[in-house]
Amino acid sequence: MRAGRTRPRASLLLPRPFAEVMASLEVLLVLLVAAFLAGFGGSFLGIGGGVFLIPFMTLALGLEIRTAIATSLIGVIATSSGAASVYVRDHLTNLRLGMFLEVATTLGAISGAVLALLVDEQLLFLSFAAATLYAGVIMIRTRETAKDRAYRSGEEDHLTKRLGLSSVYFDQEDQGVYRYRVERPLAGFAASAAAGGFSGLLGVGGGFIKVPAMNILMRVPMKAAVATSNFMIGVTAAASAFIYFSAGFVEPTLAAMVIIGVFTGANIGTRLLLRTKAQRVRFVFAILLAALGVLMGLRAFGVAVVL
Amino acid sequence: MISPRVAFRAVQARVGALRRAVLAEVEDINRALYHVLRAGVLLSVAFILFGFALEAFGAGGLPTQSIPPRRLLVEVLRFTPAGYVNLGILVLIFTPVARVFVSLLSFAEERDRTYTGITFIVLVNLLSSFFVLA
Repeated sequence: MRAGRTRPRASLLLPRPFAEVMASLEVLLVLLVAAFLAGFGGSFLGIGGGVFLIPFMTLALGLEIRTAIATSLIGVIATSSGAASVYVRDHLTNLRLGMFLEVATTLGAISGAVLALLVDEQLLFLSFAAATLYAGVIMIRTRETAKDRAYRSGEEDHLTKRLGLSSVYFDQEDQGVYRYRVERPLAGFAASAAAGGFSGLLGVGGGFIKVPAMNILMRVPMKAAVATSNFMIGVTAAASAFIYFSAGFVEPTLAAMVIIGVFTGANIGTRLLLRTKAQRVRFVFAILLAALGVLMGLRAFGVAVVL
Repeated sequence: MISPRVAFRAVQARVGALRRAVLAEVEDINRALYHVLRAGVLLSVAFILFGFALEAFGAGGLPTQSIPPRRLLVEVLRFTPAGYVNLGILVLIFTPVARVFVSLLSFAEERDRTYTGITFIVLVNLLSSFFVLA
């Protein structure tokens, strides 16, 4: 890219209020706190935190949606890398399952990021609202007991066996070692491709699709699903983040604030996940997701609601 | 009384066990990935904080737009805040890529053909988005 042409798609952009935003230190500090919470929630739930950061940046800070997406993608990578390191070290992450599904998510992410440069804002907001509401419903409906985690009898899926996807993890919550097997690998693969597409399109990690897909479709225990999702979202986001970075949509100072905030939040979120019962906190997040989904839906129809 | 030979053997056994433990830890794929991810994030945060410090000492303003990778080296060598903040962001973006690359090496070392193949596809997807689309 040549020096004088850092924003090749400037004609596609709306007037950008970034210069005013940049001027106030308060806004940067507010973003830092928001990123901290996103990193905390993201690492705890196995999502990138983009579902919280993007609505916050567009609704509360009034940033243009593509800038918000680009900044959030950076935050997703920070959440993933920060949290996944701990989950991988503690063997909570199913590495093989992660690698297998990453094939699907990276393919989806590439197509999604290209689509995002072409589709209009209303569609972005609408699909975001739908995705958020969907995630909320899923979180309320998912429950998991020790019995659900236990190994089931019967024949393993052929592909699961061939790829050695089934694994073992240690749960600090009840000091139990759980051997689990992965079911319906192809359905999970398809869902991950969709999640990757969402990631490129909306700048979120796609974790809110991957975690339910692994937990409900593939019957992976919740904590292992969260850790594996966290492991994957960084790769998915990196594929699209570099495209946004090169296209000049990343605002470095905002992104830097997000990285620092998310890094701190993720450090605390991972510790909490290892120890706590996920059930209660998930309920709170489900309500938050539903609320954000409604707000973004309103925004798609031109009703801007200030948070 | 412990004879010198017994003591020597005991020490030798202990050293051997320690060495095996260290080797096992080094060779553990999980451990390797932990270090890659941790180092990437810490390095990124360090560069960004260094950029902010440069700004605080009056070496230039904070960046308002991303610097294309091609021009980044010049800015970094000039010690501008923009250069280091952008470098930090780029290091973070490349952390997952490094992680995939290290998993590829680990699977290849274990002679796990299926997963070497799978990881290779992921890496190709990633790099194609970096170099073809960007």
